[in-house]
Amino acid sequence: MLGPSGIGLPDMSQPAGASIMALRFGRMLMGLFVGAALSASGVVFQALLRNPLAEPYVLGVSGGAGLGATVSILAGTSLAMPLSLPVTAFVSAVLTLMTVYGIASQGSGGSPSVYSLILSGVIVSAICSSLIMFLVSTASVEGLHNVIWWMLGNLQPVSLQQQLFSSSLVLCGIAGIWLLASRFNAMTLGREMAHYQGINAGAVILAGLLLATLLAATAVSMAGMIGFVGLIVPHVMRAMFGPDHRRLVPLASLGGGAFLVLCDALARTVLAPVEIPVGVVTALAGGPFFLLILQRRMKQAWN
Amino acid sequence: MIEQRSAESPALAFREVSSGYRGREVLHGVSFSIAEGEFVSLIGPNGCGKSTLLKTAAALVRPSSGSVLVYGRDVRQLRHAERASLVGVVPQKLESPMSFSVGELVMNGRTSAMGLFGRPGPEDEDIVERAMIYTDVLDLRDRYFMELSGGEQQRVALAMVLAQEPRIVMLDESIAHLDINHRQEVLQILMNLNRDRQMTVVLVSHDLTLSAQISDRLLLLHAGRLAASGTPGEVLRPELLSRIYQCDLQVHKDPWNGELQVTGDLSLLRHRKPQGKRVHVIAGGGSGIELYRRLLLEGYSVSTGVLNRLDSDAEAARALDLEVVLEQPFSAVSEARCRDASTLVESSVAVVVAEVPFGSGNLINLSLAEESLRQGKPVFLAAGTGSRDYTEGLAAERKTDELVARGARIWSSVHELIPLLQQSLQ
Repeated sequence: MLGPSGIGLPDMSQPAGASIMALRFGRMLMGLFVGAALSASGVVFQALLRNPLAEPYVLGVSGGAGLGATVSILAGTSLAMPLSLPVTAFVSAVLTLMTVYGIASQGSGGSPSVYSLILSGVIVSAICSSLIMFLVSTASVEGLHNVIWWMLGNLQPVSLQQQLFSSSLVLCGIAGIWLLASRFNAMTLGREMAHYQGINAGAVILAGLLLATLLAATAVSMAGMIGFVGLIVPHVMRAMFGPDHRRLVPLASLGGGAFLVLCDALARTVLAPVEIPVGVVTALAGGPFFLLILQRRMKQAWN
Repeated sequence: MIEQRSAESPALAFREVSSGYRGREVLHGVSFSIAEGEFVSLIGPNGCGKSTLLKTAAALVRPSSGSVLVYGRDVRQLRHAERASLVGVVPQKLESPMSFSVGELVMNGRTSAMGLFGRPGPEDEDIVERAMIYTDVLDLRDRYFMELSGGEQQRVALAMVLAQEPRIVMLDESIAHLDINHRQEVLQILMNLNRDRQMTVVLVSHDLTLSAQISDRLLLLHAGRLAASGTPGEVLRPELLSRIYQCDLQVHKDPWNGELQVTGDLSLLRHRKPQGKRVHVIAGGGSGIELYRRLLLEGYSVSTGVLNRLDSDAEAARALDLEVVLEQPFSAVSEARCRDASTLVESSVAVVVAEVPFGSGNLINLSLAEESLRQGKPVFLAAGTGSRDYTEGLAAERKTDELVARGARIWSSVHELIPLLQQSLQ
């Protein structure tokens, strides 16, 4: 993981070795935070929507963040002000979430059903990706390269300032979600039952969705559109350690981080010196492995 | 402290509560109160608002007017955790899509009491264990909830609600779908809680006999209003129930233990022969469908007309294979079709006029009723023609008044119509 162009530790006595080490250490941290953020966000969406297909992409959150980030990259502001990328990503993700939530609540007395949430999320998500495609198709060659490269997903360390900012956001988000863990347990029984149990269901849904959006948007702004982690890691951790969110939130965060770091190591080394986009590896390498686990232990995750 | 409060105020009180969902009010000004330690059953036909009443009592649905008081305090002003420590609700069916074990699920009952930063302490463990012992699910502790049988699931749901340590437990038809042995078991748990711990129980139920057996008091809800409240003997009166449930119901006293039993008279039905008599129905616009159904159920054969093609009654008549006279869609009933219909009236024993709106196009149908009276056969008119009269100069209302003067009778519900019809045909 921290090895030289091949595998193993670089020669730390030489300045080149030390800087390779620093570069790779930074990249590992990126992987940890991005993976943890995506996975924790998936845990929340799956709990609140009570649906195994839920993930950051489903409610259009990643799509919205991606759209914001694309605009920011193409407009060149991301180069001028390093923090503008995560901020635009988060703002546009929250706007997307509010749109989805607003559409889904129409005519249902202010509390949207899961199905209308998912449906309007999928639609808004599709609109966002069309807009991204449109922007990409009209962009200059250089902008096009930047956006495409970013969209494929890569863990190239961003500026130190953005790293500090983003990783503290991720830590805060995960801490907040962990705090709500026992409420998420109750929410899996449905909004009504959670209400009967003395839980402010509306507030938990709102706080949960906001925190999960924060995490997903931060991850997107750091490393682009990396799929699969937010969907599958929560499932596997649930299958291995049970659905109690007080355990699941920290375990899924750690698991997501570790998984992404491993995938990135593979992405760098398998075809070295050519680097494969990490988003490709997550699904290609992770998919079969996780299918195997799920097939054996699905019963311990979902009914 | 609870004893003090209960001395002053009832456990649960509704004061002129109207509530419902956006654009649809379900409860209309319901008032009642339930004392601490009472065992009350909430009964009423489907759609009368029983579940809405429960949701309103648990502050899930906001009343549009009036107030719900729990131990004298407005339930909407209680904090969520506080409300859960007073009122627990067992849903019709508990669904847990994720594979929680029974123990984990019951622990959910403690969540609101623990607060945001709290972790379950030994006291919480004790409460959960007690709830599981009481409902006899302790040995299921490590099983997955969703692989349990229906009765076991219901007991686990009850355990989870008991772990809230509420003073009032409300059950939303939670035992309706259980096998008789499981039902007895859950009921026994409830009655023990009620007796030993003075827990107030509100049971939504559609089993009238069962409700009478186990309850101190029955609340009968009908169309969003409280129709009756009192001891089983006071509420389970055959004439009241028959009117509200729109069918013939008998109330017997069990000769051995004096308990009330409510039965529909199916034995009579089983021996009922086809009447061999035909009734002609004047309907339109969907007003006839319920009449056709009930008349056929009572063993009459039915003819109807004149109806316009594509009218929902015409579709129903075709589906039910009734004899029917049809006119072209959206056109006035012609003399010729009316003559066809009068041959049907001739071979019928009575004419029933449904709650059909009258206009210039179908006013002529009333002449069929006139024809029937002339032949000495009874005519039954739906009440309130005036409110459905769109003819010029209220011709239909004048016509019906005339028919009443000549001996036609008025009916206001199908349930009332059937005995009228039977009497006059004997």
